[in-house]
Amino acid sequence: MRNASRYALLAAGVALALAYPWIVPNLYLLYAGVLTLMYAATATSWNILGGFTGYVSLGHSAFFGLGAYGTGLLMTRAGWSWIPSLIGSALVVALFAALVGVAAVRVRGASFVIVSIALVSMTNLLVQGWRSLTGGSTGLRVPSPFPDLNRGQSHFAFFYLFLGLLALVMLTWWFISRSRYGAGLRAIREDEDKAESLGVPTAAFKVTAYALSALFVALAGGLYALWFRSLDPIFVFSILIGSYMVLMSLLGGVRHLFGPLLGALIVAPAGEYFLVALGETQVHLAAAGLLLVLVVLFMPEGIIPAAARLVSRPQQASIREEAAG
Amino acid sequence: MTLLLQGLALGVLTGGLYALLASGLSLYFGVMRVVMVAHPAFLFLAAYLTYTLHTASGLDPLLALPVTVPLFFALGVAVQRLLVARLAPENLPMMSVLLTFGLALVIEGLLGTVYTGSYKSVSMDYATRSLTLGAVRLPYDRIVAFAVAALTLAALFTILLKSRFGRALRATIQHREAARLVGIRTERVTGYGFGVGLATAAVGGSVLALITPFFPAAHWAWIGKLMAIIVVGGLGSVLGAALAAVMLGVIESLVLVTVDATWATMMFYVFLFLTLIARPQGFFGGRLAQRF
Repeated sequence: MRNASRYALLAAGVALALAYPWIVPNLYLLYAGVLTLMYAATATSWNILGGFTGYVSLGHSAFFGLGAYGTGLLMTRAGWSWIPSLIGSALVVALFAALVGVAAVRVRGASFVIVSIALVSMTNLLVQGWRSLTGGSTGLRVPSPFPDLNRGQSHFAFFYLFLGLLALVMLTWWFISRSRYGAGLRAIREDEDKAESLGVPTAAFKVTAYALSALFVALAGGLYALWFRSLDPIFVFSILIGSYMVLMSLLGGVRHLFGPLLGALIVAPAGEYFLVALGETQVHLAAAGLLLVLVVLFMPEGIIPAAARLVSRPQQASIREEAAG
Repeated sequence: MTLLLQGLALGVLTGGLYALLASGLSLYFGVMRVVMVAHPAFLFLAAYLTYTLHTASGLDPLLALPVTVPLFFALGVAVQRLLVARLAPENLPMMSVLLTFGLALVIEGLLGTVYTGSYKSVSMDYATRSLTLGAVRLPYDRIVAFAVAALTLAALFTILLKSRFGRALRATIQHREAARLVGIRTERVTGYGFGVGLATAAVGGSVLALITPFFPAAHWAWIGKLMAIIVVGGLGSVLGAALAAVMLGVIESLVLVTVDATWATMMFYVFLFLTLIARPQGFFGGRLAQRF
């Protein structure tokens, strides 16, 4: 694709996103749009760690839940207004992630995934167990940030808030992908030992990527808390939210800026469709799982590279694939 | 003091089940360096099959084993040959986790659709009685569960140590290329290794159905616990997993009777992180675990 048509496509996409709340016919589609943007933002944040370094975290819903609860608690217990609550909670979560990261990134591959799953279970247990602070399994009510807006206007506001967050995360990803730091992270993905021996400070790079990706996921969680205003620990700390981030990123393509967004545009509406068409059954879980299995088996590089291979010459293989082949 | 003894005894009994399930996980990891996240999901699938057989015919959960064990063995071979073996070798650890994670979601979703998300349980008349030893009361269903788990583990160890297949399996775990050089069909053995691993989930499922009520989403809690066990024990070490399972089972019970349920479960993760910080290869894992 030539550069001019690429920019035109980008501009059209941005215009469509900005106009979406004005052109949808009903409130439900607006709600679904906000939800899709939220998932896109979390998936792109996940991809800061997963895409660059190749470390697959199945437990990023821990940061989503902590960001949501942190925002809610700062507003209800400390009486802060919503913007400082949102940012303060995200910063605390990022600091926490950096601390966890020091232990978590010591292990590679399979052990890292185990740690990430354990992290969700731990945070879920803590939040449900600490009844006096968090309200335990009954959940937490969060005051409205915009008390004079009705439900539709609130969806409207949060559509743009989530869109802004998505833009911020994508810009961050883009900056990293063009920086020396990004090159270092990619070197970790291709061969961590070689990267280390070439002088890449692998531990520091991995921990910062982990914390950065947690920061943005926590911001998304905080916005979710302000938007939904009622937090259910079982949902915000669910494995499903974490696995959606992974599924969306993999489906779209983890090595591409627009991969997670594309994945979110497919998976989130499909999930909503299952909920509407089939009611509150568990079929959507099975469908998400099946999709994940199919992607892993047949399209581990994602849609974007697969489609690119169809329209143009074959993609360049990564260093490791060339070395293996 | 009585409370502690009671906790200790119950912990050992629960630890038996943990050990059985963790040994299955260690097998998968040993033969293919795969962390099988779907293991607890298959455990719950077995529990639900047991439940169906029990409600349809009044069968004792343990009599479901002749049906579920061969079925799960075949399923395990199929999962390995048809799914895991197809993954590209260069990124196998990550991709296999995602693959089995997808399988776990599929199983949970199907169980939730067929059986709904509410609690199910199988209760036998002996489950309500218990054996009194001094001041300690041991429910009969726990004793039966422990006995079944211990017998299965003993059979598993006998197969691994004495039989020709067991030797081939261990050779494959230790050095795949060398095993192939001496004429072991490593692909086939790897498939059977998965079958045996999943068969332990079938046994575990019957035991689980016997001792506790269950619902589909509960398998996530088991993943966390079992993963902590195999990391503390050392990835790939069947013996290490069994020892760590009993140890963590006892610690869980002791914390349960002295503090509360939240901290009892939390102990698994505390030990997981302590192990990763102090000794990432686990406490019983050898050369194999160090590479991961």
